Amino acid sequence: MVESGQKPRLLRASFVGAGLTCSLLAFSAAWAQTPAPAEGQPPAAEAPAAADATPAATDAPAAADAGAAAATAAEGQTHGQRAAAEAAAALAAGEDDEPVILEAPAPNTRRVYINDSAHFGSLTQQFVIDTDAGRVIAITDSGFLPNPVLSDDGSVYAQVSTTYSRISRGEREDYVEVFDPVTFNPVADITLPVEAHRFLVGTYPWMAAVTPGNSTLLYYQFSPAPAVGVVDLEGKAFSRMLEVPDCYHIFPTAPDNFFMHCRDGSLARVQFDAASDAEPQITHSAVFHPEDEYLVNHPAYSQKTGRLAWPTYEGKIYQFDLSSGEPQALNTIDGLTAEERADNWRPGGWQLVAYHRPSNQIYMLVDQRAEWTHKTPSRHVVVINAETGERIARHELGHDIDSVAVSQDDDPLLYGLSTGARTLYIYDAESGEELRSVNQLGHGPTVISLSDMN
Amino acid sequence: MTFATKTRTLLTALALTALGTQMALADKISILTEAPAPAAEAPAEAVIVNIAKMKYEPAEVTIKPGQTVTWINTEAMPHNVAFKAGVVDDAKMDGAMMKKEQSYSITFNEAGSYDYHCTPHPFMKAKVIVE
Ligand SMILES: [Cu+2]
Repeated sequence: MVESGQKPRLLRASFVGAGLTCSLLAFSAAWAQTPAPAEGQPPAAEAPAAADATPAATDAPAAADAGAAAATAAEGQTHGQRAAAEAAAALAAGEDDEPVILEAPAPNTRRVYINDSAHFGSLTQQFVIDTDAGRVIAITDSGFLPNPVLSDDGSVYAQVSTTYSRISRGEREDYVEVFDPVTFNPVADITLPVEAHRFLVGTYPWMAAVTPGNSTLLYYQFSPAPAVGVVDLEGKAFSRMLEVPDCYHIFPTAPDNFFMHCRDGSLARVQFDAASDAEPQITHSAVFHPEDEYLVNHPAYSQKTGRLAWPTYEGKIYQFDLSSGEPQALNTIDGLTAEERADNWRPGGWQLVAYHRPSNQIYMLVDQRAEWTHKTPSRHVVVINAETGERIARHELGHDIDSVAVSQDDDPLLYGLSTGARTLYIYDAESGEELRSVNQLGHGPTVISLSDMN
Repeated sequence: MTFATKTRTLLTALALTALGTQMALADKISILTEAPAPAAEAPAEAVIVNIAKMKYEPAEVTIKPGQTVTWINTEAMPHNVAFKAGVVDDAKMDGAMMKKEQSYSITFNEAGSYDYHCTPHPFMKAKVIVE
């Protein structure tokens, strides 16, 4: 284990400050953002002139918050144009350039983390985005196929990651890195022993999770035998491996309890004692799906309510309430109508389902596709009442979307991530209207993570 | 595979086994050939474990020290025989993948219970008991 500060990481400027420095301006402009609304956008050449209309910017201190800057920006200005105007105004006012390392704003319900696993690249990145502003506010670096892990209170942002002594060969080291979610400095770096190496797989969000209360991080090991690694986040140390049956994914419900999905079609409940070496207590639910019904790799799970929504390849959605510690089967619903299914509508994508806890609604990516094309992107999202199965909406997303997520506030944003376009599209969840987007998100971003802070 | 080639393979395997890293392995088990052999060439006296439908059959065999177990894969899905670290050696041991109608033979030299699994299918588990 390495103490905080021993392994300095490059912190990207987070744009939270008012952007008074030329270097920041140049960097900021490199991130092309789609303004909203598109019409009325002044040409870039007019940006300095616009600065005259925003004298407030010249009063802003170097660490002024983004909200203040946004409030003074002319409607339709891009972030780059606004930064240019502010810098021009600061220069005109004779202000000195004081370069500083910025901090991100406090985490909120509108912050998302975009995991770019870079098509199995050895080195990867996570983009931290303020989706209200449509801006990248931080980037963290990571190794091979990292698993991002977030707590619902926003305080824990960790990655279970893997590096090698020579980029992609040599000695392998697996570790858990925990970041301060404002400074993005690492606050813990916990080495996992060789026998506790993690599962290297295209990123499935629920292959790692933090338990309620944030005391423990759990991650999955596939080989040589199914096991779950226990990491003590408070003591900043690896604890031990738990031997588990032939089951996959980790859905924690308590500091000492989680569920998994098993090869035989059951759920396994795993109770463990984090403080001892006692064998975990494992019980199985009844088998809940037949062998020829394939459950996708990216179910939606609300840790706050213990609700699990798990689609099949054909759009049937199994649901459970795990909150009591006993797996309680809820109504199985059809995400697609009989007519749609007859017309080749099927779910597809990567993270293809999201659950909005406050409204109890399920969002699922769907499109017309052949069987066995379940990993190609979709251009539609259906919104379903999780209680009744009733269809609420089907939004046309206007892009090839691989992953979907929804902010957990009462007036949610819908997020659609395009791996091919490397762009996060941000929609109004109710209307499906595209509000803004953030592009240049690495090489092949696939996973959207967020906290349920509502 | 000609006889000469097979002999060379066998000698290579023995040479590898004799190297320091596999000394402990050489004590507890001996591997007949590193590469899988045609099923028809399984040693006549070997105890046979068939592999089919993602299972080892039988899942448990009991033999005497010095006896050989031969695994025969009867399906197109490749499978192997692998031991976790500490079972036959300090390090883990992953046997070669067998395609359909290929075999892999191990002689068990010491009494003990040897749990094994298939590397890409960790849910395929079975055991050899030597007593
Ligand atoms: Cu196998």
